[in-house]
Amino acid sequence: MKKRGIGYASTFYGTGYGNGFPDISRAIAELGTDGNIYIYVGATEVGQGAKTILSQIAAEALGVDFSSIVFICEDTSITPDAGTAAASRQTYNTGNAIKLASEKLRNEIINILEKRYGISTENIEDYLLQVAKLNGDEALRMDGIFTASTTEMDAETGQGNPYYPYTFSVYGIEVEVDTTTGIVEVTKAVCGQDVGRAINPKLIEGQIDGGFSMGLGYGIMEDINLQSGRIKHDRFTSYLIPTALDMPDIDKIIIEEPEATGPYGAKGIGEPVLVAVAPAILNAIYNAVGVRMKEIPVTPERLLKALKVKERGV
Amino acid sequence: MKLETVGKNIIRVDGLAKVTGKATYPQDLYMDNMLYGKTLRSTKPHANIKVDTKKAEKIPGVIKILTYRDVPYNHHGVLFKDHEVFCAKKVRSIGDPIAFVVATCEKTATKALEEIEVEYEELEAVFDPIKAMDEKAPKVHDKSNIIYKYQLRRGDIEEGFKQCDVIVEEEYKTSMVDHAFLQPEAGIAYLENDTVVVCVSTQYPHFDQLEIAEALKIPLDKVKVINPAVGGAFGGREDITMQIHLALATRLIGRPVKAIYTRQESFVAHSKRHPMIMRYKTGANRAGRLIAMEATIVGDTGAYASWAINILRKSGVHATGPYEIPNVKVDSYAVYTNNPFAGAMRGFGATQVPIAHEQQMDILAERLNIDPIRFRLENCFKKGSTTATGQILEESIPLERTIKEVEKQMKKSVVGGV
Repeated sequence: MKKRGIGYASTFYGTGYGNGFPDISRAIAELGTDGNIYIYVGATEVGQGAKTILSQIAAEALGVDFSSIVFICEDTSITPDAGTAAASRQTYNTGNAIKLASEKLRNEIINILEKRYGISTENIEDYLLQVAKLNGDEALRMDGIFTASTTEMDAETGQGNPYYPYTFSVYGIEVEVDTTTGIVEVTKAVCGQDVGRAINPKLIEGQIDGGFSMGLGYGIMEDINLQSGRIKHDRFTSYLIPTALDMPDIDKIIIEEPEATGPYGAKGIGEPVLVAVAPAILNAIYNAVGVRMKEIPVTPERLLKALKVKERGV
Repeated sequence: MKLETVGKNIIRVDGLAKVTGKATYPQDLYMDNMLYGKTLRSTKPHANIKVDTKKAEKIPGVIKILTYRDVPYNHHGVLFKDHEVFCAKKVRSIGDPIAFVVATCEKTATKALEEIEVEYEELEAVFDPIKAMDEKAPKVHDKSNIIYKYQLRRGDIEEGFKQCDVIVEEEYKTSMVDHAFLQPEAGIAYLENDTVVVCVSTQYPHFDQLEIAEALKIPLDKVKVINPAVGGAFGGREDITMQIHLALATRLIGRPVKAIYTRQESFVAHSKRHPMIMRYKTGANRAGRLIAMEATIVGDTGAYASWAINILRKSGVHATGPYEIPNVKVDSYAVYTNNPFAGAMRGFGATQVPIAHEQQMDILAERLNIDPIRFRLENCFKKGSTTATGQILEESIPLERTIKEVEKQMKKSVVGGV
């Protein structure tokens, strides 16, 4: 028999390294001799969209078109350290560093225009090449440094302000449980994601899709089958991850309530988009068939066993 | 504030190259005079070892076989330097690197792996983190297996539970999982004058640069890390895998050296998500207010610490979920075992605890006969709320609104919605 149920989960996630660990991003904004804006930063594009998001922040801060931005992040010998592409920190931390560097560069360009040419303007776009040629072969460079707010917690009581800011997620999920096979199908999801400010809404939607599939795998599929320290499922024929066919329709709700310390109010969402998925599925399974699955992944074998125990009334 | 570029759905700048196959990953790079590297890994979870490479070195096409003897500083690790670049005397988990064969082609390198003789003297191993916490358990490193404890204390936990009308006690378990990024590890290293260049998929090039320089005992500016297209990371590229092996090989041999892991090797080479055992006791009063919560969390970090300390700390801080609870007691532990090592993975300790706290919320709501959404709204963080660590949440706390909007949309979207 197929039974449907729904479940919710709400979660929070603290951005950054945490606990007072120095959490610093550095960036350089440069007006190249070709009139383009070069952003040098050691923030890795791991597929999350860092290059695009961080270029948007630079374009906004400089007041120039997105196409003028050249983003360089691939070489330690020419980029400053911007910390790891982790802890959901690149948009927030490195975004801030790039915003600072870009604002400084913009102010410098405005100054030069005024002092050297007597041009008083807020629109620097049309003068980039003109200013760039002033310095000959030397590019105009400005740096930006951002340090996140975090304090070390008390060793005895754990009291303190370990992370900042926090990002919230609320996911509602519908499942269909086949009580004969034990297979759980996720049939519908509504994902509410706090983002502070959406720098690029489509990329947030992409992150929600990716986070959802990872959470779906975590909740009901992925099992490395560890036996005496050996990973038995070490390939994708046995280590099952979701495919497009396992994904439900997802209604995405992007909640904007800008965070003053974030670049244009943005907060990190790379990890938050994952964390509410599996617990919402577990609550939906209970709602559907009345069993509490306290161990993940909820494989068909585990679920059938739990259903049998319930039937016997143990 | 009027925004011009922020808020726009600009198409990903790296998108076209990736979907058309034009993006360059380290796998795609070839250099003149290039050699291939293959890693010999431990097949036992806990053993003393003796390694003999003599026979393998004689195979035509084998240029060099690196072992611990070749490494100036044989340690690395993001927090503790508890990984060895190559195991010297002891292996602590299946998959630990023992040697790195450099040969003229992949086939020869693979053949040479089979000819390296490793004598294993097996040691008693421990795979259960609870057992590993016992003083008498086999020691994974020469110290206690408990490498970290985070404790959180707020209010009066005993008094808090006395005020509860309903208390739910349950144990939850999460599993060890893989990041399953699309692109298995790959890299190529070469010399540019006296600078070692390592071109590799990583998520923190500057930290790799530091760890390579430390292991090779060369100045930081003599190491350059190039980070071309990366096929996903999710935390699985935070720890060193092949970076030092490649750097050392090219420095000693003077020729470019390339390595690509197969999917199976990738599974054992990088970290996993910490499996956790989470014992929860949560209490509320009849009015639907959470009053007290106690949790004990044990995270299995396998044979190496990686980020275990930060991860179990993050679990502890996030153990309550996004709810105001006046009385909280949390103990979270990071424990060594002889399992594959666990480290950073998307969510970093905050992914495991919702498996527990969100089911606790639903169980309590049911016992109190309150709608689970109402129960969450009653207790959730709002502007001005105080977290269990005493942090006051001052701005951008739109949780209540998010819960309401999701409920509204669920009612619209789900046929016969509850």
